Amino acid sequence: MTSPPANRQRTMFIVTAVLAVLILVPSGVGFVNKLFEFYGVIKGEASGAFAFTPVVNYLLASMGFLCLMLWAIGHGMFHDIERPKQTMLETERMLDEQRATEVDS
Amino acid sequence: MADENSKTDESTPATLPTHEELVDERLVAWYFLAALAYLFISMSGGFLMAFQLIKHNPLNGIEIFSPGRWRMVHTNAIAYGFLANAFLGMLHWVIPRLTLRPVLDRRLSLFIFCAWQFVVVATAVGLLLGQAQGLEWGETPVWIDPVAQLGLLLVAINFMAPIMKQKGPMYVTLWYFVAAFIWTFLTYAMGNFVPEYFVSGSSAGAVGGLFIHDLVGLFVTPLGWGMMYYFVPILLKKPIWSHGLSLVGFWGLAFFYPLQGIHHFLYTPIPMFLQYGAIMSTIAVELVVLTVVINFFGTLWGDGRQFWDNLPIRWFYTGMVYYFLTCLQCSLQVTLTFQALIHFTDWVVGHAHLVMFGVFSMWLLGVMTYLFPRLLKQEWYSQTLCEWHYWLSAGGMLVMASDLILGGLFQGWSWAALQPWDASVEISQPFWAVRVVSGLAIFGGQLAFVYNLYKTWQLSRVRLS
Ligand code: HEM
Repeated sequence: MTSPPANRQRTMFIVTAVLAVLILVPSGVGFVNKLFEFYGVIKGEASGAFAFTPVVNYLLASMGFLCLMLWAIGHGMFHDIERPKQTMLETERMLDEQRATEVDS
Repeated sequence: MADENSKTDESTPATLPTHEELVDERLVAWYFLAALAYLFISMSGGFLMAFQLIKHNPLNGIEIFSPGRWRMVHTNAIAYGFLANAFLGMLHWVIPRLTLRPVLDRRLSLFIFCAWQFVVVATAVGLLLGQAQGLEWGETPVWIDPVAQLGLLLVAINFMAPIMKQKGPMYVTLWYFVAAFIWTFLTYAMGNFVPEYFVSGSSAGAVGGLFIHDLVGLFVTPLGWGMMYYFVPILLKKPIWSHGLSLVGFWGLAFFYPLQGIHHFLYTPIPMFLQYGAIMSTIAVELVVLTVVINFFGTLWGDGRQFWDNLPIRWFYTGMVYYFLTCLQCSLQVTLTFQALIHFTDWVVGHAHLVMFGVFSMWLLGVMTYLFPRLLKQEWYSQTLCEWHYWLSAGGMLVMASDLILGGLFQGWSWAALQPWDASVEISQPFWAVRVVSGLAIFGGQLAFVYNLYKTWQLSRVRLS
């Protein structure tokens, strides 16, 4: 694969960076704000701790998937990302051909 | 070029095993037959409740036929009897063929099959004897919960064995299946044990909300989508439009889905930030769904004729259109304003039928339409009956869902106008009558399918002898 010309690469970088800042900064601020609110609920209300249960449930499940994702990245699971769709069709074809030969014979 | 790919693929075993070494076809067929039997039991429960609501219950006053109990049999037999069995049959076909490795142990598979039928039958009997656990969708009597939990663990071990041996990039179907095994196990444990033994009150309500939604989103959805990513390319004989996009869909589901359950409990004493969190993650999932739908329609692009000519593909894509409709409904339901109108109405029941039958059952029936002739090594006895099966199911579903959704709006408006409860029951009567008629159409479709299957099986016997 040939890499795009340098000026196009630079434009792509600028667009990605601007979008990242525009999206990530407000979401980050919102998220941190929500964390403070969450802390306030847990601390402030007598029954606030019950809000904790579903969030902890969620975090436990998501942590597992975050670890799985990092593991997958580390093990090259996303390299050559379009290859598995070809391989899968190919193995199917081979299995079917083999089966057809068996049935014929 | 394709050969080149397969040679360089590190996940493929050195020699190609045969289909017989990989797939236990008998077990696949048994699972499908068990699923169909439960589908009929479930539909009978649905009719009992439906007739009760139009004040024509033929079995009135007999405790064991109490529509309240049969309603629970209706939903449990669908989830654990029909869907779970049909998915297990499908998994016994797909995973070995995708990984080119058989499941961990065929005897274990057989044991799981028997154990699972025991779980489902015991659940139905327990429910009919009045032993339901007080948790929506988790009504399985408490003494069955540990057995079902163990069953789910064995299922995960049996299927994960071939998947774990895969090396290198994995096809998206396997990602979905791996996630489904983990999620189903965790979701079942969370829903059946946490509110029963560990938490109570609103907290138990919040966990119950996560459970009912996660059962659809983390058990049925990943198995359903994983299955489509396998069967659609095979039937269209071309790869999925974008494998990268399919993985975006998968990871999006993984991170955004688990928090949405609380959207079932808007306006309850559960803290508002959790309710808003559920709404936000639902919106995120809507975007994820869009990527999946785009990917499948991108794959069909240029092959539109197949929708009409290839019956399993028609089942699949009809299910996808219904899926899109349920998600569209969801985007309305999840707003607080709309929720105030439709909560507790038949809008939700319409939504539930659309997603459980219109989407996942349609996909599974499409898979059965494709696989039964391969399992029996015999073409369908009658293509016309296959067509009847499709049209009665798809048409019946469209009528049932539209009817209940519309009926739900009238019920909501009636309550919003502070009309007495009885008035809303009266205005619901025509809608409930239409539900019975559309239910009969769906039932007729399944009868046509089972009759066709029986005749096909007879033909296969004749051919063999
Ligand atoms: C074919 C005939 C059917 C009839 C007459 C029927 C009827 C009913 C009735 C009367 C209810 C109770 C509604 C209420 O409590 O107000 C119900 C609930 C339900 N049914 Fe069916 N049903 C049928 C088929 C199916 C099928 C094939 C599926 C799934 C594949 C299904 C899935 C459900 C679900 C998930 C619920 C629970 C809805 C909720 O709680 O919101 N039904 N059905």
